Amino acid sequence: MTDLIRSEVLKVRSTQVWLWMILPAVAFTALGTVGTVYDSIHNDYRHGDQINYYSVFTQFGGAAVALLVIGVLGLTTEFRHKTITPTLLATPDRWKLIIGKSISYLVFAVFYSILCIIVNFAIAISWLNAEGAPVSFGHGVTGGVIKTFLSLVITALFGLGLGALIRNQAAGMVIGIIYFTVLDGLLGNVPKVRLVWPYTPGGAASAFTSKGHNDNIPTDIHQIAPLAGGLIFLAWAVLLVVLGGNVSLRRDIS
Amino acid sequence: MTVATGQRAVEAPTGRIVVDHLTKVFGSQRAVDDLTFTVEPGSVTGFLGPNGAGKTTTLRMLLGLVSPTAGSATINGVAYHSLSRPLQTVGAALEAASFHPAHTGLQHLRIYCAAAGLPARRADEVLDLVGLSNAAKKKTKGYSMGMRQRLGLAGTLLGDPRVLILDEPANGLDPEGIRWLRGFFRHLAGEGRTVLVSSHQLAEVQAVADRAIILNLGRLVRAGTIEELSAGTSTAVVRGPNLGPLQQALAAAGLSGTTEPDGTLRVRADELTQIGHLAFVNNVELHELSLEEFDLERLFFSLTEGAHQAHALNQPGQPPQITFQPNQGDAR
Repeated sequence: MTDLIRSEVLKVRSTQVWLWMILPAVAFTALGTVGTVYDSIHNDYRHGDQINYYSVFTQFGGAAVALLVIGVLGLTTEFRHKTITPTLLATPDRWKLIIGKSISYLVFAVFYSILCIIVNFAIAISWLNAEGAPVSFGHGVTGGVIKTFLSLVITALFGLGLGALIRNQAAGMVIGIIYFTVLDGLLGNVPKVRLVWPYTPGGAASAFTSKGHNDNIPTDIHQIAPLAGGLIFLAWAVLLVVLGGNVSLRRDIS
Repeated sequence: MTVATGQRAVEAPTGRIVVDHLTKVFGSQRAVDDLTFTVEPGSVTGFLGPNGAGKTTTLRMLLGLVSPTAGSATINGVAYHSLSRPLQTVGAALEAASFHPAHTGLQHLRIYCAAAGLPARRADEVLDLVGLSNAAKKKTKGYSMGMRQRLGLAGTLLGDPRVLILDEPANGLDPEGIRWLRGFFRHLAGEGRTVLVSSHQLAEVQAVADRAIILNLGRLVRAGTIEELSAGTSTAVVRGPNLGPLQQALAAAGLSGTTEPDGTLRVRADELTQIGHLAFVNNVELHELSLEEFDLERLFFSLTEGAHQAHALNQPGQPPQITFQPNQGDAR
């Protein structure tokens, strides 16, 4: 397994894609952080209100789309460039390959997430200091940072599973991005559908990264705890990986 | 060879490939139909057949990429996916475009070195072996077809395997490359390795292969050593103004053949001495007496397109061939 992970990491590192994907990840983080800090300073701090540190220090969650795309690329690139053939010749056990890829992409997801945390902290702390505003990681902020970090890692796994299931690179990316950026928001507002929304991948991820029991959704929706949201989101990611792996196992590579 | 330990087969490093009643059905199409053959170590075996004969599907089933509908295919007595160190056991190149365009040739090979637990320097070694060292750091999207073939071959050699399976490796190679490939195969077989190579370049296969397996419509139509396949396939070509007496003498001597519309006799024979003697003693004037020796291409087409040719010969306007047979009771 160690050899396989080394091979998969080398496979990603040997292209420029992982470097280029840093740009949107950092850009989303930076934009989100700038917007939130600006809002907190102008609308809260300067009016004597408490800064929403939870919101400020979890803005690196905006990198989720980049992590999703990186995950989707994990298997779809193999099919697009037909490298799946030499890959399976080297690792004929397809479950072993799926597990090896999952671990490798988790490694990359951790790297991206840490990078985005650094960008978020650098912008937020330096700006707050410049404004003379205090910096605090209390009242659940540290937990929020950890949950958002884990959410990003799970998102990469979710993307990998989605790619394994769909195999077509463009379709995988479009479906993943549209779901998390458009469809997820719509589902949360559709009557009746919104009642089960907390259990969808997007709803569960939202619950996981929220400060309290779904403090970002209306109270008529059955609330789920952040930890439960995290577990549900993880379950979705694992389900997609298992389903994708199962589909890959059944398919002929021709 | 399969070595049984209880109920479980384990690898025996013989380099033997065994395909046993292998069948693959895609929808209503039987791509491979009850195919059985073996490939022995220390030989180059040509795997031949027209497009759609089932060659690539068979190779993919052998390598665990396509699951068979029925039957089995083993290397060293076990299925490919059960090999403990696949790249160190089998080197396979199935298509000339299985490279990420943004990877260099060296990066491509190092990725699979890592997967197989091989040192990275092995990638440099095999690039040198196939003459691609100068293009090692060039992205594969800039490779010519011939360079891609060589890179694919380099990939097969990474684990120094005893078995090599190659699908159309000569495609895109220039004459120098084909000559190099021929020597390369002979060198590998000389080291006792098993080389199974599918190809459309029949003259090349005939020049380099010890054995041939010929498929048509998913079925095995002929398999054996080149000597076995060539036995009794040479033809004497006889031309002259009046070959009637010679034809009778040949039939009396137990030789069979055909008379073509222009009067040319084609006689199944491995040498010309007897025909020349019969012409002399029967006072027959000859304008040509030559031997057409075994031609794998001719055998290939006769086996894979025989029905088509027979159909064409029966079309109106096609002059018929006249067959003559040995006289009954004559000893050969």
